[in-house]
Amino acid sequence: MRVALFTTCLAEALAPRALKAAVLVLEHCGVAPEVPLAQTCCGQPLLSNGLPNDGAKLAQRMCEIFAPYDAVVTPSGSCCSVVREKYAGLFAEGSRERANANVLAAKTFEFIEFLETQLKIDPTTLKPKDCSANARCATLTCHDACHLRGLHRHGCTAPFLRSAGCGTVRDLPDMSQCCGFGGMFSTQFPEVSSALGDEKLAHFTSTGAAVLVASDTGCAAHLAGLAHRKGVAIRVISPAEAIAESLGLLAREVTSANASTEAAMHPKNGTEVG
Amino acid sequence: MNELIAPPLPFDMKPRAREAVRDLKLQQFVGSATHLKDIHRGGIFDRDFGHDYDALRTVARDTKQHALDHLDELLEQFIANARASGATVHAATTGAEACEIALRIARAHGALSCVKSKSMVTEEIGLLPAFEAAGIKTLETDLGEFILQIDGDAPSHIVTPMIHKDRVATAQSFVRELGARYTEDPTELTMIAREHMRGLYRAADIGVSGANFLLADEGAAVICTNEGNFDLSVGGPPVHIVFVGIEKLIRGARDLAPFLKLLARSGTAQPLTVYTSFVRGPRRAGEHGGPKELHFVLVDAGRVGVLASEKRDLLRCIRCGACLNACPVYRKVGGHSYGSMYAGPIGAVLTPELERAQAGGGAGLANYADLPRASSLCGACYEVCPVKIDIPKFLLHDRARLRERGLSPKSEGAMLRLWRWLAERPMLFRLAIGAARLHARLLGQKDGSRAWLRAAPGPGAGWTQSRDLGMPTGERFRDWFATHAAKRDTKRGAR
Repeated sequence: MRVALFTTCLAEALAPRALKAAVLVLEHCGVAPEVPLAQTCCGQPLLSNGLPNDGAKLAQRMCEIFAPYDAVVTPSGSCCSVVREKYAGLFAEGSRERANANVLAAKTFEFIEFLETQLKIDPTTLKPKDCSANARCATLTCHDACHLRGLHRHGCTAPFLRSAGCGTVRDLPDMSQCCGFGGMFSTQFPEVSSALGDEKLAHFTSTGAAVLVASDTGCAAHLAGLAHRKGVAIRVISPAEAIAESLGLLAREVTSANASTEAAMHPKNGTEVG
Repeated sequence: MNELIAPPLPFDMKPRAREAVRDLKLQQFVGSATHLKDIHRGGIFDRDFGHDYDALRTVARDTKQHALDHLDELLEQFIANARASGATVHAATTGAEACEIALRIARAHGALSCVKSKSMVTEEIGLLPAFEAAGIKTLETDLGEFILQIDGDAPSHIVTPMIHKDRVATAQSFVRELGARYTEDPTELTMIAREHMRGLYRAADIGVSGANFLLADEGAAVICTNEGNFDLSVGGPPVHIVFVGIEKLIRGARDLAPFLKLLARSGTAQPLTVYTSFVRGPRRAGEHGGPKELHFVLVDAGRVGVLASEKRDLLRCIRCGACLNACPVYRKVGGHSYGSMYAGPIGAVLTPELERAQAGGGAGLANYADLPRASSLCGACYEVCPVKIDIPKFLLHDRARLRERGLSPKSEGAMLRLWRWLAERPMLFRLAIGAARLHARLLGQKDGSRAWLRAAPGPGAGWTQSRDLGMPTGERFRDWFATHAAKRDTKRGAR
């Protein structure tokens, strides 16, 4: 099976560690992902902001770039939902483009979804063997990207990480409410967007967790950026990073709630082990 | 009309939204009420329908869509059957026409006072101001609407109109306007309103209400209330007028069940509203209650235009308010930020469309250009809609229309097109991302693996208004992967 990593422009720019973690975890699961070099942006900013024709051009690129692969995996819930739910509708019924879009939609998966439904990984087999290392593992809580709703994957991250023994996974109160990111909404209505983000951060703080696992790079950047401005101690990572850390594939970062705010907020970039 | 829900056009949402976010009371009242309602809504559907919930919504969607697809036939049936039952049926193309019809009826009876039951369409057409201007003293009999009326306030939610107020404000209004003694006890407050209203029901010359459903095969209306105020407004006065949007038509009582199961559960997490009233024809010989004259005013006010548009699905809406309760943006900005009696997600798509259909041309979106953009597209509205209206799809549709007509910021459009141009050129795209990283590394505050910008240039300025932007400073993913993949392949080759 040829598997491609659909990196997304946002993760390449803002979350290289999440991509690294995705590669390492997939390899741990016996899949060696490839990274098609020509990929750029899936077109979501255009499709969400009134430029469907421009977005369709990028959608066509995506279909061509990922044509050789059997499966396409991405750490971004919302980019995944664009490919799955929006692409086909951009092209005329019966057209070759529509057919290509349907093919890509059928083989594109969000990272945890791919592990769970395609590789059929039993998360308990991902439990770290060295429990003493796990004891140092962070207390986590998960915020799922809203766009996982349409994929019927909203709320699936926390149970998976819990079964995979990724530290202590606490429930995030009011998880279903949007974090307020919303792409360009975050800059068009910054006050509303931030107010929602603040509410999410308050819920995060109430759990006592040190790490927030966000299944979308946009949500992660929004929440981490708000927290940094306010001096809230939080480390925002992707589900892949949580698993990679737990398995020791990526060096664990400073996560102790007792560590200084600075240390908790600006952890060292993980380095590959072995 | 009240400027809160009928603002000067074009409407600018942003100042109201900014103000609402800072309004601590609004944040508390609207935030807690919507969260609670949304949780209870989910709870009652789980309890009563479990996995069948989705099937029930599908039935409701298809039933209402079928009715809309046959609206012309249903209208004819309804008119014939309502007339046969002794009611008078009027058709109004515009809101002004609907008010004029009502005023004509009122004048014919020399009416000076009116009791009015809650109705969204009467808010839409501005009936109350029209009656007041004609010297017809009108009492809102829904408790929430009554409190808003005496406060000169306006509804901010389809189902719970005074969601932005609390009982302290109500207590103060009752002291001020009704001379009541101060109490914050909800039961006592209700009793005060009840005392005030009871006599007025009996004395009123005319009763007015909306309707939740029209049954074509019986020429009857179905009205769902929790306070029984509709039954009093139809039982007392000699004349009653039902105002109703034409999209409320369904074939008959046989189609009612899915809607009654969904409406109250979606809106207030009740199995049914306390009262589900059926009205068919005026008082008949031998009957003791009911109006001597019953009028139906069938209101178009843009609906026929919506029906002919790509957004016809919006007419399926049964005004349950579930999308408002579930919407993160509504929870933060409240109803008045939408500048319409229809707030929240459904309002954001319906308001410009009704306005467009009435005013013609591109007026609707030009007048409400902020509404389609005021959404994070989280999809919560679609998830809770009992008739499965894909609201996010219509928001995107409107965003595209805004862009086509040059109603979105030009600089934003240019930037997005530049983005597309870059995204078609992978080398340049990488360079652009690299430039952004370099910018952060040179100007940002270095901190572990990231450089944080407190003020980003250009399109990033909106971002850094309230958030920092953290750009990674370490190795680029692609460089790491190139080395990693080479190692991986060597290992494989060695095996």
